[in-house]
Amino acid sequence: MTALGLDIGSRTIKLVVWENGAVVLTRKALTSSDPLAVCRELLHHTPPGPLVATGYGRHLVKEYLRCETVSEIKAFALGARAVFHSCRTILDIGGQDTKAISLTADGRIDKFHMNDKCAAGTGRFLEIMATALGLSLGDFMAEAMATETPHPINSMCTVFAESEVISTIARGTPRPAIALGIHQSIASRTVSLLERVAVTDDIVFAGGVALNGCMQKEIEKALGRNVHVPPDPQIIGALGCALLAAKNDEPVKRHDYDDKVKSSRGKARES
Amino acid sequence: MKFNADNVKPLIEDEFVGEAAKRALQYIQGKRSAGMPVAGIYCGYAPMEVIRAAGAVPAILCAFANKTIAAAEAVLPANLCPLIKSSYGFIITDSCPFFGISDAVVAETTCDGKKKMFELISHYKPMFVMDLPQLPDEEEAQANWAAMITKLKGFLEKTFKTEATSERIEAEIKATNVKNALMNRVFDYAAKKPSLLKWSETYELAFLAQVATTEDLQPIFQEVFRTIKEREEKGVYYGTPSSPRVLVTGCPVGGDSTKVYKIIEEAGGVVVAMDSCTGMKPFMTAIEEDTGDPIAAVAVRYLQLPCSCMTPNLRRLTEMDKIIARFQPDAVIEVVLHACHSYNIEAYKIMNHAKEIHNLPYLKIETDYSDGDVEQIRTRVEALFDSL
Repeated sequence: MTALGLDIGSRTIKLVVWENGAVVLTRKALTSSDPLAVCRELLHHTPPGPLVATGYGRHLVKEYLRCETVSEIKAFALGARAVFHSCRTILDIGGQDTKAISLTADGRIDKFHMNDKCAAGTGRFLEIMATALGLSLGDFMAEAMATETPHPINSMCTVFAESEVISTIARGTPRPAIALGIHQSIASRTVSLLERVAVTDDIVFAGGVALNGCMQKEIEKALGRNVHVPPDPQIIGALGCALLAAKNDEPVKRHDYDDKVKSSRGKARES
Repeated sequence: MKFNADNVKPLIEDEFVGEAAKRALQYIQGKRSAGMPVAGIYCGYAPMEVIRAAGAVPAILCAFANKTIAAAEAVLPANLCPLIKSSYGFIITDSCPFFGISDAVVAETTCDGKKKMFELISHYKPMFVMDLPQLPDEEEAQANWAAMITKLKGFLEKTFKTEATSERIEAEIKATNVKNALMNRVFDYAAKKPSLLKWSETYELAFLAQVATTEDLQPIFQEVFRTIKEREEKGVYYGTPSSPRVLVTGCPVGGDSTKVYKIIEEAGGVVVAMDSCTGMKPFMTAIEEDTGDPIAAVAVRYLQLPCSCMTPNLRRLTEMDKIIARFQPDAVIEVVLHACHSYNIEAYKIMNHAKEIHNLPYLKIETDYSDGDVEQIRTRVEALFDSL
């Protein structure tokens, strides 16, 4: 059978198509200011099957696509266990949220913690810091990894941190040192969030920020443990949704996604 | 979330359904027209029995709206609790009708923010600031608080040109006990499984019951119990039998911060217990009667209020034990207003108590009066219910 999972995050929308026990299609696109149009785009010409949605936009699509929704916590718990069966702790750093989830040995949610509504230390924070340093996200990470001597950045508020970075640049501090300092400040904040849930091996690090190898390295250093980054860490929530959709015994619901595609804006990447 | 039947009669059926403050305002205006002075209050520590014995009607001053915060931030720091900012904003924009009709204001040194804010509004109305002991179990605390209450009595007598005799205070103690017993009878129906009341009904009744006299409330109580009995007979309840039952504890929740109650409901939960000063807390304890020293009896009772401004505030935990036994919640959600350090820090103890002693999942929501974090709160609440 075919089942679909959609994770409408604050920065990126992810689609997973699950068929006969395997991921057969994944698509991602930037959320943009019209997430519904992007969802339609992503769902265009996908095989029929039940759909479950998660992420900040889940209630928006629930109405339009008449699909089931699930909280990100549950979606990530299911998705992480699917890619890493022995997973007991999940760290997800997305566009505007950081989540730490601990699971019981049989995979149920034990505890979870999220950052406050402020986006400090999330993907958006990294993007803004990279921009302040005049770097792309890739170069930002590469520069941070090119040095051993960080310059600590103390502000965690995105706006204050940006000012701090600008004034640090103005004092002549090398950019790699600032870049590493930013990564380390996020890592230490992330670890204190993780420690609020019981950290048990194995730890899965998911979300867009998990694509940042420097972030993984600094979190591992601060935590004193290894974390596992799945091959495609961004799709874990959408995967959890697809798994949940596949488990639903309800008759297959399929709506007229294709008819609803009105514009072809928000070019979707397919892999 | 709704009742399991259509057209359910509201608990208080009048033109103010959903408008707790307007109902209270109409009540207070009526009393004022009849010649009673109005005493504005900001907190559950204001000794109501003494205020009433002085012939005044208490008015809970506005503190729960986002709209006055911008004005307040022209003076107050942005990083301050929204309740204090909102209160102050209401005063300087002259938009709190309760303050407008208050003849005096009773305030307490509960937290630093309030204490210093009171200094900034002290010139608007005659104000009496009570020095609240914060180690309530110390021997001196009761005597000191009783001395403060006696001073307040003097202030009210002088301001309102009246006399709050011991007999009148004793009579008010008895009236409070009758009222609290009736309120608790109502709360028992919120505690039923499934609950017979919607949170907003309990909230609205509590709002009115804080300002209205026991005597004036009698006809309302009669109607309330008639309505509840009808619901019971017809098998009407709120939510579904499987809806997660939630105990909401922490900072006062009112006006714009009732968004948290609404989100809990939208996520499929039922708020069965509201453990805060705008909920059930003011009605939970009785005052000892016929002690011969009514002021001392009042002092004892108010010091029992388990506010986080007290230390070590162990009573919060013992009260929580009783609330959990009585309301049988499936989860505990704590509401902490931004920059309310005392509730925020105490939350750690509450979390451990909920999880370890009661084996209940716990979620802390730190919020303010804006609606900017509604979706973030929703994600957390839905995840909490998912984990049940």
